[in-house]
Amino acid sequence: MEKGNTPESFEEFIKSFFYGRRSDLSFKFLSDLAPEDASIFIQDLFKDIIDCLDEGDFSRIKQRVLAGQVKRYKNQKNFQYDDGPFHFLTKPLSSVKFSLLTSSGHFLKGCDPSPLGVENMTQEEAERRIFDFLKQEPELSEIPFDSKPEDIMVRHGGYDIRAASKDPNVSFPYQRMTGLKDQGLFQSLTSNAYSFVGACSQKRLIKKTLPGWVDRFVSLGVDAVLLVPA
Amino acid sequence: MSVGHVARALEEAKIATVIVAVKSFEARMRMMSLPRVLLTPQLMGRPIGGPFDEKLQVKIIKAAIQLLETADRNGIVQDYH
Repeated sequence: MEKGNTPESFEEFIKSFFYGRRSDLSFKFLSDLAPEDASIFIQDLFKDIIDCLDEGDFSRIKQRVLAGQVKRYKNQKNFQYDDGPFHFLTKPLSSVKFSLLTSSGHFLKGCDPSPLGVENMTQEEAERRIFDFLKQEPELSEIPFDSKPEDIMVRHGGYDIRAASKDPNVSFPYQRMTGLKDQGLFQSLTSNAYSFVGACSQKRLIKKTLPGWVDRFVSLGVDAVLLVPA
Repeated sequence: MSVGHVARALEEAKIATVIVAVKSFEARMRMMSLPRVLLTPQLMGRPIGGPFDEKLQVKIIKAAIQLLETADRNGIVQDYH
């Protein structure tokens, strides 16, 4: 592959998966690997593909990709706390009112939060403008628990949304929560589930946004919340 | 990271929380000293299980709710097997 007249180096190739011209958020970890490690990963993945095709079992491919993704986030350093608040669930589940909040970027068709002032933003634009998102205060989308899956949209510049587009429950498990409520595992759910784009300004989230969100859950009489980062 | 901040704020307000996250986020979750975290061996973007794998999705949520009930202190990070 060539860029103009200059041959593309292998290092440029692996970096292009991180918001570059080959942007692929499932494989953005390639950009963090040393070229030698990245070449070993790709070679091993090719071997796995053939073995898995022969054996009809694709779990080895999943494990290979998972190991790469795990490695990428090992050196998290921001927002380190020695301790944190803890509230016991003081009621039996049969009396608990649950809610669901995810950072997966789901929203209801017709209620697009229009991030960065852009109507009908595409996933491609969200990926391209990820660093703009990281400066923004997040917006909470309300999604009724009785919504149809085909009415639920997703857009998030920080992760590969392909699975979440096919089935929102992979990261926004609103139908599973409804099913468990109907089975009597817990008493009730809020009318809406909630989602936002987790790739946002963390400082604005903490200082400006969260107090309002907390007030909302308190006013709804929520006892417990299932939280899902995407 | 965002969800970790949400968990801390809700717990301060006496609302119990449980987080279900992919294994890739383990370091993030541990460093934030969060109340209850269930880590799943799923690829990023699919913390509750693959598309239309309803059986696994329900199992994972039940495990999370069980963790919510049984946790007796802050900082519990559990692997889902």
